[in-house]
Amino acid sequence: MDVRLQRLLVSFASQHNRSTPVATSAPVNSIAASPLPTTPSAHPRTGQSMSGAEIIVQVLADEGVDTIFGYSGGAILPTYDAIFRHNDQQSKLAAGARPMPLIVPANEQGAGFMAAGYARASGKVGVCVVTSGPGATNTVTPVRDCAADSIPIVVICGQVGTSAIGSDAFQEAPVSNIMGAVAKHCFLVTDPAKLEATVRTAFEIARSGRPGPVVIDIPKDVQNWQGNYQGSGLLPMRGYHARMQALRARTLADEHAAKFFQMLGEAERPLIYAGGGVIHSDGAAELRAFAHEFGIPVVTTLMGIGTFDTTEPLALHMLGMHGAAFANYAVEDCDFLFCLGARFDDRVAGVPAKFARNAKRIAHMDVDASEINKVKRVQWSHVGLLRPALEKLRLQGKGAGFKRDWSPWHAHVAELKRRYAMNYDRDSELIQPYYVIEEINRLTRGEAVIATGVGQHQMWAAQYFDFREPRLWLTSGSMGTMGFGLPAAIGAQFARRDKLVIDIDGDASIRMNLGELETVTTYDLPIKVVVLNNFGDGMVKQWQKLFFKGRLSASDKSLHKKDFVKAAQADGYQFAVRLDRKADVPRVVKEFIEFKGPAFLEVIIDTEAGVYPMVGPGQAYDEMITGDFIESREASKTTAEPGVSEMF
Amino acid sequence: MPSQRHIIAITLQNESGALTRVAGLFSTRGYNIESLNVAATDDPTVSRLTLVTTGNDAVIHQITQQSLKLVDVVDVEDVTREEHFERELLLIKVKAKATQVGSLWSATQRAGGRVLWDAADSFTIELTSSEADINRFMAEVANFGEVLEVVRSGALAIQKGRQILES
Repeated sequence: MDVRLQRLLVSFASQHNRSTPVATSAPVNSIAASPLPTTPSAHPRTGQSMSGAEIIVQVLADEGVDTIFGYSGGAILPTYDAIFRHNDQQSKLAAGARPMPLIVPANEQGAGFMAAGYARASGKVGVCVVTSGPGATNTVTPVRDCAADSIPIVVICGQVGTSAIGSDAFQEAPVSNIMGAVAKHCFLVTDPAKLEATVRTAFEIARSGRPGPVVIDIPKDVQNWQGNYQGSGLLPMRGYHARMQALRARTLADEHAAKFFQMLGEAERPLIYAGGGVIHSDGAAELRAFAHEFGIPVVTTLMGIGTFDTTEPLALHMLGMHGAAFANYAVEDCDFLFCLGARFDDRVAGVPAKFARNAKRIAHMDVDASEINKVKRVQWSHVGLLRPALEKLRLQGKGAGFKRDWSPWHAHVAELKRRYAMNYDRDSELIQPYYVIEEINRLTRGEAVIATGVGQHQMWAAQYFDFREPRLWLTSGSMGTMGFGLPAAIGAQFARRDKLVIDIDGDASIRMNLGELETVTTYDLPIKVVVLNNFGDGMVKQWQKLFFKGRLSASDKSLHKKDFVKAAQADGYQFAVRLDRKADVPRVVKEFIEFKGPAFLEVIIDTEAGVYPMVGPGQAYDEMITGDFIESREASKTTAEPGVSEMF
Repeated sequence: MPSQRHIIAITLQNESGALTRVAGLFSTRGYNIESLNVAATDDPTVSRLTLVTTGNDAVIHQITQQSLKLVDVVDVEDVTREEHFERELLLIKVKAKATQVGSLWSATQRAGGRVLWDAADSFTIELTSSEADINRFMAEVANFGEVLEVVRSGALAIQKGRQILES
C-alpha cells in the first residue's frame, strides 16, 4: 500500500480520536431489542448509484461503526479508498460528523483482536477489514477466538475477482472454506446485487442469538460493481430468522418459573454459576438483582468475570481449574446449582461426574439449546434470552413472597472466603506477580479495563484483580490465544476512551503480537502495558514441573536476549521502566498507572511463582492443589498420575 | 444408551459453502456419516440433505441442536424418530457366469428390481429399496457372479402422514 496514503489515514485517525468522544448514538446492539426484519425506513441515500465498496462503507455507517481495524492490500483497495473518501467527506461536515477511522495494526491478527477487544469492551460489533490471501488467513485465529468466546465481530476480506477464484491467483486463499469451519457464519459474495443485504445481515447474525464472528469474502470486482443503494433489507435467512424470532418470543412460563422456585425452596445451599453469556446478554444487572433478592452467592467462570461485583460479600470469584479455593469448595458444598450463560466446559467441569456432586439439582439457562445437557444433565432448564427470563424469574419469586433463611449457608460461605483466601509468599525477597497485581488493583479499584495474554499472568490477573462491572475483563478464554492482550487492549481503548486500559501480559505472550507495541504509540493511546517477565512460558513450565518431571522442553527463555524496555523505547514509549526490586513496586506502579500517555512496565518476577489453586487433569475440586500459601480443606491426597491424554 | 442408526433430514438454503458447513460440522464434532445425499427440492433456493448416522439419543440430540445453529439450515428432523418411508437406489454391475444369468434375473424380480442391461459380462441392475434389503440383495447377487461396480445413493427418507420439514 502507498505509504503516504497510509500516513494520511493514520494521522487522520489519530486526530479524530483525540477530539471525538465515543459515539453513544450507535444503533441498538442488544440481542433483545433488535427487531427482524429491519423496519424499512426511507434512507436518505436510497436509490443513489454507488460502487460496491461505497455500499459496504454506507452499511457500516448505517450500523453505527465508529472504528475500523484493518490492514490494506490489493484485493481490498477499492473499499479502503471508499473509507478514505467517506472520512474525508465527514471531516468537512461542520456538525454531526461520524467518520470511521481506520486503525492499522502490524499484522492482521492484531486487527482481528482489536475488533474483538472493541466488541468485548463495548458490547458492539467489532469490525475488521483486510485483504485477500494472507490478510484473510491472518485473521483466522481471532475469528476462531471470537467464535469460541461468543464475541460479535464482522470481518470483511477482499477476494480476488470472481473470474479468478479457483485459479490459484495472486493472494488467493479459499477463505469461505477456511472461515466456514471456524466462524459463526461466512459469506462469499458472488452476486453484487446481494452485497448490501449481505453486509447488513452479517451484523445481524454476529450479534443475534449466541453472538459470534461473521466473515464476508468480497471479490474485487464486486467492490467495483456499480448499483443502487437500497437503504434496507436483509438476506432471506429464513431458518435462522425464524429461530431467532422464536428465541425472542420464548418467555419463561409461570409454571416453569414456579417449578424453579419449588426446587430452590428445597435447597439449603444454593449457588449461582455465572458465565460469559450473562455479559453477552447484558444481563449483569439482572443477575445482581436476582442474587441480592434471594441472597444466593455467585461464582463466575473466567468469561463471566465482572458479571458480579467481586467486592461484594456474595461474590465468590472464579471457579474452575485455577479458581479460588473457596469458590471451588462452595461448588463442592452446594446442593443446588443455577448455571447462567455458562457451559460446564472442561476447565470448569474437568470431570463432569465429579463436578458439583453434592448438588441435588442443577438448573441451566442459556441462549443456545445445544448447551443444555451437553456435558452435565440438569433438572430444570430454560432456553431463551437471559435478561428478560432472569428478570421474570426474580419478579415472580418476589411476587410470590419467596424467602428462605440461608444464613447458615451464608456463614459457611463467608468462612470459606476467610479461611481459604487467595494468598502467596508475602515475605519473599523476589517480586511476586500477585503482589504487583494487588498494587495495581489498589489504584484501579476494580474500575479499569484489564486485557491479558494467555498463561500464568492471565490466571493471576483473573484471581487478584477486582472487577466491579462487566466488560472490564478481556481475555481469550476458550481458545487461549497467546498474544491476545495487547491488540485487545488497543481495541478496548477505542471503544472506551473514558477508561484506563491495562494490558497484563507475559514475556512469551506479548512476543506473539509484539508489533502492536508500536500501534499503541502510533495512535497515542494511554494504554498501560505490563509484562510480568518470568523468562519463559510459565504455565507450560508449571505443567512440565508437575507432570513431566521438570523437563522444560522448549519453554525456557532465560537465554533470550530481548531488552523489553529498549524495545518499548524504540517504539516511542516515554514511560518504559524495568522493575526488579521489591521495595520499588508501590512507587513505580503508581508512577506507571498515573503516567498520562502510553506506558510500558516490565516486572522481573519470581520465575518459580506458580498458579494456585490448581485442579489437576482428571481431578475433582476437593483434590485441588492449593500450594504452600493457601490452606487446603482436604488432607492432601496422593494424586494418581494423570493419563497422558488428559494432560491439556 | 445404545447407539442406533438414525436418518437425519436437513433442509438447507442453497448458498455457497452451505453443504461444506454441514459436512464440516459432522467432522469437526466427531459425528460419523454413513451416507449423505443432497439434491434440490421443489423450491430452487432450498436443498434437502439426508444423512445416515449412528449414535445414542444424546449424540443425536446434539447433532440436531448443533445443525440448527448453522445459519443456512432451514430445518432439521430425525426422520427415524417417527414412522417414515425409507428408500435407497442401487445400481450394480455384475459379471455373471453364463449359467447363472437366469438366477440373476429371478433374484432381481423377487427383490423388485429392474434389469437395465442384460449381457453376461456387464449385467446391470437397478433396485430401489430399504438399505437393509439392498444389503441382502447385494449379498445374494455376489453368489451369481463377480460384482464389478456398485453405486448407491444413500438412504432417502420421508415421514409418514402430514408431518413435513420446513423449507
